[in-house]
Amino acid sequence: MQGSPMNGISEGLSPFRRFRNLLLGGLTGLFFFFAVSPLLLIVYVAWNQGRSALNWEFISTLPSGFPLGTEGGILNGIVGSLVLVVIASSLSVPVGIWAGLYLWQDGKSRQAGLVRLLSDLLLGVPSVVWGIVGFYVFSTSTGMGFHWGFSAMAGGLTLGFIMVPIVTRVTEQALRDVPMSFIEGSYALGATRWQTMRSVALPGAMAGIGTGILLGILNVLGQTAPLVFTNYYNTGLPSSLVGSQGAVGDLAMQIFIYVHEPSQLLHVKAMAASLVLLGIVLALDIGIRLMTWGSRKIAGRVG
Amino acid sequence: MARMSVSGFYAYYSENPALRNISLEIPDRQVLALIGPSGCGKTTFLRSLNRMNDFVKGFSVKGQVTLDDVDIYSSGLHPVVLRRRVGMVFQKPNPFHKSIFENVAYGLRIQGVRSRLILSDRVEQSLRSAALWDEVKDRLNSSAFSLSGGQQQRLCIARALAVEPEVLLLDEPASALDPISTARIEELIQDLKTQYAIVIVTHNMQQAARVSDRTAFFLTGEMVEIGETSRIFTNPSDERTEDYITGRFG
Ligand SMILES: Nc1ncnc2c1ncn2[C@@H]1O[C@H](COP(=O)(O)OP(=O)(O)O)[C@@H](O)[C@H]1O
Ligand SMILES: [Mg+2]
Repeated sequence: MQGSPMNGISEGLSPFRRFRNLLLGGLTGLFFFFAVSPLLLIVYVAWNQGRSALNWEFISTLPSGFPLGTEGGILNGIVGSLVLVVIASSLSVPVGIWAGLYLWQDGKSRQAGLVRLLSDLLLGVPSVVWGIVGFYVFSTSTGMGFHWGFSAMAGGLTLGFIMVPIVTRVTEQALRDVPMSFIEGSYALGATRWQTMRSVALPGAMAGIGTGILLGILNVLGQTAPLVFTNYYNTGLPSSLVGSQGAVGDLAMQIFIYVHEPSQLLHVKAMAASLVLLGIVLALDIGIRLMTWGSRKIAGRVG
Repeated sequence: MARMSVSGFYAYYSENPALRNISLEIPDRQVLALIGPSGCGKTTFLRSLNRMNDFVKGFSVKGQVTLDDVDIYSSGLHPVVLRRRVGMVFQKPNPFHKSIFENVAYGLRIQGVRSRLILSDRVEQSLRSAALWDEVKDRLNSSAFSLSGGQQQRLCIARALAVEPEVLLLDEPASALDPISTARIEELIQDLKTQYAIVIVTHNMQQAARVSDRTAFFLTGEMVEIGETSRIFTNPSDERTEDYITGRFG
């Protein structure tokens, strides 16, 4: 321990203070351990249990064999999850960002208060409720709406609606986090609200908005309840986005189904599929971070 | 002669008066210094001159402020237009996270100036006026944050000059800077007053004495006294002014 920073700090202190420093240091370490250990545990368990099934074939072929999936891979789930995320994002990213911009620029008005309240209520709607409403609106042939059957469009849009309030909230917050001094600097030069929003606030908020979109996507990637009623699952690849051929596979659903099968091999494959899901999450995270690198600097999040 | 003129002006933050019955003139090609202890309303007053307080919830005003004889609060003069004519530099340098060039060009771009030629021209001219050109001419495309604090503040002045305002408001522009940068800013103010009407808030009495032609002393929301700077500092007519400038309080 000679020359360690902890030693340096404690030098010349009374025994009581030394003890207190040690205790606080220990507690900090303990809390740190509890904060990161779940992540380590997830990666460890999934890797340990699923590694043996992970290979190129696993991510590049459709499931086959009996029970289905004991041979082949999870291409249906990977493709389906990506399709669902793309559909959900095409709805929620523009709508959510627009709503967030509105809340930011009209922040103190009564309408904004109402929008914020509704948005917060939506955040709290259980996903199974979203699912059944999505079913009624998008999927049934007797309900109100679109008669799309169990399809990627019905599932994706339902997931999109779940994402909207998340993106809205985070966008508004990210805009508020842009230091007031930049905003005022822009106004003082004769910029309008819109110009200030576009040229100063939005570029500064991109990192936060990116994080919001990521949070939304992660939420959606893990959902199964809303999909049970709107898309369910497909063991193959979809040939359309709506109608009777429109259902897609989905990684979360696939894991859920495999774990319920009385097959040791499928349990291993469920673990391997979890690893793939983690990989996708990681790739998305890195991708969004790279895309918003410039903005992170503005927000003071990196050097 | 007066660019701006204030009479019987009151300002309130949700019913609490921050300024009471202020009347003064802001002549062209002169520097007016506002002095007074913290919280006496200097910033509120300055921000009332270009309606930056409009963004503060619950802020309201009474009385009259005119720019070239046009009432800035009740004439229908749009605040956006007003702020192009009455520029402002803040206490802490606040350049945008853009290049040096784009910082200065910002005010022009938002007015719709697209021509690269005009932009370059005006950027150079503004940086020269702000006595920064020689230091940055070889790195106009570097980030504004690669500059020192003093340079950043001069960049903010250049940015304000680029839109060719008539009045320049400076809120303690040197309080975050070292003595050498402060001296440069003071020199710069001397140069700029040949073209602009300047109002500067300062905590530093010597600075007020060095740079200003006239000085107004504010105390708890009221203007105690205004006059030629030399007179205010040598022979104030109000006892409270004398107490303040001799350091007896504040
Ligand atoms: N945004 C605000 N909301 C409410 N009160 C404010 C606000 N800004 C300033 N004040 C109050 O107005 C008074 C004058 O403040 P200010 O103009 O900042 O003084 P100075 O610049 O002379 O230090 C102070 O009492 C201050 O608390
Ligand atoms: Mg102030």
